[in-house]
Amino acid sequence: MRRSLALLLPFLAIGCGGGGGGTERRTLVDSRDNYDPRSLDPALSTDVPTGRAVAYLFDGLTRFTPDARVIPALATSWETSPDGLTYTFHLRRGVTFTDGTPFVARQVLASWQRVLDPKVRGGRGWPLYPVLGAKEYADGKSTTLQGLSAPNDSTVVVVLKEPFAIFPKLLAMPVASVAPERVPEGFGEHPIGTGPWKLVEWKHDDYLLFAPNERYWGGRPRADSLKARIIAEPSTAVAEFQSGNVDVLQIPQGEIADWQEDTERRKLLASTPSLELVYVAINTTRGPLADVRVRQALNYAVDRRRIVRNLIAGRGELAAGVIPSSLPGSDKARVGFAFDTTRARQLLREAGYPNGIDLELWTSTNPIYVRIAETLQAYLKLSGVRVKVVQRESAAAREAARKGRADLFIKDWYADYPDAENFLYPLLHSANKGVGGNVSFYANAQFDSLVTLARREPDEAKRIALYTQADQIAFRDAPMIFLWFYSELYAVQPWLRGFQPPVIFNGQPWTTVTTTAATNGKLASRQEQP
Amino acid sequence: MSAFILRRLLLAIPTLVGVLIIAFLLLYVAPGDPVMAMVGERADEETIARLRAELRLDDPLPVQFGHYVAGIAKGDLGRSYITNRPIRRDIVERFPKTLQLAGAAMLLATICGVTLGVLSARNPGGPIDRFGLALAYLGISFPPSGFGGARYLVLPALALGMRSIAFLARMTRSAMLDSLGADYVRTARAKGLRERSVVARHALRNALIPIITVLGLDFGAYLTGSILTETIFSWPGIGRYVVNAIARRDLPAIQGSVLFLSAVFVLVNLITDLAYAKADPRVTYS
Repeated sequence: MRRSLALLLPFLAIGCGGGGGGTERRTLVDSRDNYDPRSLDPALSTDVPTGRAVAYLFDGLTRFTPDARVIPALATSWETSPDGLTYTFHLRRGVTFTDGTPFVARQVLASWQRVLDPKVRGGRGWPLYPVLGAKEYADGKSTTLQGLSAPNDSTVVVVLKEPFAIFPKLLAMPVASVAPERVPEGFGEHPIGTGPWKLVEWKHDDYLLFAPNERYWGGRPRADSLKARIIAEPSTAVAEFQSGNVDVLQIPQGEIADWQEDTERRKLLASTPSLELVYVAINTTRGPLADVRVRQALNYAVDRRRIVRNLIAGRGELAAGVIPSSLPGSDKARVGFAFDTTRARQLLREAGYPNGIDLELWTSTNPIYVRIAETLQAYLKLSGVRVKVVQRESAAAREAARKGRADLFIKDWYADYPDAENFLYPLLHSANKGVGGNVSFYANAQFDSLVTLARREPDEAKRIALYTQADQIAFRDAPMIFLWFYSELYAVQPWLRGFQPPVIFNGQPWTTVTTTAATNGKLASRQEQP
Repeated sequence: MSAFILRRLLLAIPTLVGVLIIAFLLLYVAPGDPVMAMVGERADEETIARLRAELRLDDPLPVQFGHYVAGIAKGDLGRSYITNRPIRRDIVERFPKTLQLAGAAMLLATICGVTLGVLSARNPGGPIDRFGLALAYLGISFPPSGFGGARYLVLPALALGMRSIAFLARMTRSAMLDSLGADYVRTARAKGLRERSVVARHALRNALIPIITVLGLDFGAYLTGSILTETIFSWPGIGRYVVNAIARRDLPAIQGSVLFLSAVFVLVNLITDLAYAKADPRVTYS
């Protein structure tokens, strides 16, 4: 009996338990991954945990800084031909892979070819589709990649299908990283790269452990090791942070208020300008939703300001168009849809629906989206829009939206690279209907041609002006309920030095981040004791 | 005995084939496409069509099933669509963790549950009995949830085993009350045996059958993936593996793990049946 009681005691006392893990350590511990990476092969990096790990282990020709600037990496410089079609990349010399192989131009060619190779089953060739012949190669219609060549070991020449001025930004995506020319069997588990870190151990569903690449061209990472823990349950990550066992935490959207209002915890917060758009895609091909007045009515029917305040503690910047205010091209003077049920009802009447309409709003089972969906449902009802909320597990909900079976679908969109094009083109260009990302099935010829022009425009100022125009058209056409740009909130332990939350998910290489031994570990767990 | 084991193992084959067919069909009826999970948020129709062809997803169902069964017959569970890793290796890597957790939970449950049950039965209505009852109510109404993020084995094991502790305690108590009132116990006491010996050797042994039943069922359930507990405690076991596989519609991974876990379940049931014979000499298998 004594034994069983003793065993039960910790159970009763768990509420106040700290993990006690914060002894002196010089390992940086991340807690952001919530599922196991797909692989560590750059060609398979289609998801966030994979992309993040790939960015530690590999380099692209360019890379992102934490504040989302694009800077040279394996390419030290590049030139563009006057017609904007030919890029000549000059490669960094003296770089070696972690197995000692020197880095040369043909590895770039081989890596990109692998990404596009149907046999590799990566599924994410699109960042390289601007290259001449890439799409044909990926579709199995051609066996060579016309647009790629390496005149010598330190030069890569890329010919594009058409001018695409932001191409170097896409090359900072994990999928465009450079791997060895021939990858051995099991490469996804035992990667060899030129990146700042090398893999020590991968315990699936548990953690990835990295050690500094001593010979990293950008300087050896300053910490002893980096551990990316995989924590499925957000509240577990929070508890681990409060116990001092992890250094960085992405605060779950439902808990923002708790952190902001707590005077101690508030000191640990850090945030980034937002490149995440939260919106309700309106399928512009379904019934009454084909009428722009109905779509505008839906926008007027919703009090977004209030939703942002109550559901995510004010951490959303109201959207008026799809370009976030931190990116060139956003029109800061544009005024978004205000909450106005009278106007909403009037627009519905004008469109021929005096008795309102019935719609289905699809959402994944993600708790924060379910709450948003239910709130929207209540608001829309005020204007005579009767909404049925359809909750499905996320893959099923997304599939329904992609196949055009959902009237309304609540979703978000994170930028892969910091450019307005990354919002305008995938979300709303008619070339991307359905699986391409345009689940509004929006098609406006004028919008399309502006975005297409912008993609080809070499002059930055002109390009940005085109973005703004296109965004204005999309705003007026309302192919979505513009909700907000969510600004990610981080908590960073006080002993961490040099950590800047990245704007793009793979933008923080941790190379200059350190822990200060003096305050390591115990401090925060003490602070957090009630 | 060995003939019995052999027969039971042979009987398991049609069970597993049934499981295989149902799991296979269910996955093709369920919405969600593995290729959609592979390509991520932004893709194009040609890539999707190509991947479908590459994975043979467009073959007629019987053909796909045939391929799959042919692989299984060779002992090959295939490779994950998503990660490209062999499923067998994934399972081999994760199952020990689940085994460890399930084992710890069962150990805790047996020690706490049986002890509590026996002590309760010794003195029905006494303080221990009442404490045990309260705990049982608490335990049974306990969702297998998390409290705190500590990753020690004891917490997840407790979270997982709590229900079993409660159940076992009540089960042991009632079985013990029955056997403590039985004639043979009175006889044993009349012979002048020590109370400890009466309780442990005569009463408890006869109360073992329902206890073994509960243990067997619960152990089987825990081994086949304690999804919630593993998720909450970041325990890298097979439960989380299956959940991830389902979320990404990784068909070979789902089918492979369902098949493997069914086999485990059948095996645990067989062991439970064998344990009956061990506990009660009147039970024989031939």
